[in-house]
Amino acid sequence: MTAADAILSYAVWLAFAVLAAAFLLTVWRVVRGPTLPDRVVALDMLTGIVIGFIALIAIRTGFTLYIDIAISLGLVGFLATVAFARFVLSRGTGGGAPRENPAAALLAAAPVKRRKPAARRTGGTGPAVRRKARK
Amino acid sequence: MMETLIAFVTALVILAGAGFALVAAIGLNRLPDVYTRMHAASKAGTVGSGLLLLAVGLHAGDLPTFARALAGFFFFVLTAPVSAHLLAMAAHKVGYPLSTQSVRDEMKGRE
Amino acid sequence: MTTFLLSLVFAFVWVAITGSATLHNLIFGFALSTLSLWIVRGEVGTRGYWRRLGRILSLLALFLKELALSAWKVAVLVMRPRMDLKPGIFAFPLTVDRDFEITLLANLITLTPGTLSVDVSEDRKTLFVHAIDCSDIEATKRDIANGFERKIMEAFR
Repeated sequence: MTAADAILSYAVWLAFAVLAAAFLLTVWRVVRGPTLPDRVVALDMLTGIVIGFIALIAIRTGFTLYIDIAISLGLVGFLATVAFARFVLSRGTGGGAPRENPAAALLAAAPVKRRKPAARRTGGTGPAVRRKARK
Repeated sequence: MMETLIAFVTALVILAGAGFALVAAIGLNRLPDVYTRMHAASKAGTVGSGLLLLAVGLHAGDLPTFARALAGFFFFVLTAPVSAHLLAMAAHKVGYPLSTQSVRDEMKGRE
Repeated sequence: MTTFLLSLVFAFVWVAITGSATLHNLIFGFALSTLSLWIVRGEVGTRGYWRRLGRILSLLALFLKELALSAWKVAVLVMRPRMDLKPGIFAFPLTVDRDFEITLLANLITLTPGTLSVDVSEDRKTLFVHAIDCSDIEATKRDIANGFERKIMEAFR
């Protein structure tokens, strides 16, 4: 084992630990929310961290084909984020009610049309007021 | 000697990339609202995974692999702002509020 | 002539990416790039190609520098024990008016320190930018107008 190998293997192990910490922190943001866009941002970030993991595995094993896998994962993550942005837009309920129910959100997504911004913004910013206005 | 130098630089790039990813994750937890969190995710996060990809290219040490890694790096750097922009626009249009620390919102009512 | 050189550059990129440096592959890459350039011949004027290439490269260098700087600034901001932020959205009046240039500018703004483009107004005259530090908006606006916007105008006009 040469000096070069030793340096690299220590660096890769340290980076694995750091990335694992970053991954857990990001998962915490996904769990906590509190709004849908927060979760989408965190999921996007998770894809980035997983790409980092794949790159580290490529360095450890020496298979450069992993680069292609990382690129395809990046493409999938990008498309998923774009789709999520469309979903946020089409669901059309802002105001950030804390602790949304994902199943109810999915059910509500299809038929609801976006409301006019002027009408939406007159009702104050508190979630309670907003919920009342929706009924 | 040359080999050790390349290994050293690669190790540095790996650690920098992982560090940026960690900073982005910390920022995701500490910043107050969606829009400021996007700053952390779309800049530090992208640079983090991009640097790790570049490290693969450096480590392999041949031109085709490096070119592919570079292509991947540019791909991430070009797509990250697009998705951040789309998400910010969707969130603002739908009316997710800015944090209470915000000092101004010139976009309100002018979409 | 410039089209020929451009095809040659593309052919070399093709060889580098596919990873087999044989004569057959070089010829195939050349044919492929000539074909793709021929398809878009109406869209890209190949006149003044080299002068423009220099400016595009200078835009790229500025972009990479700003990207590194912005990641560093976000890192410093996040690691500070007490965060006093002044986030907000400001309106940036656009000078560039073509869709392609607006897209490019919005992307560049997103990757620069402390700014993130949120939306473009209907009439394409205003770009709404979210900034993490709104204490000196005029300076931020000046930086964007004199930095990226001017470089984009130089590179693509």
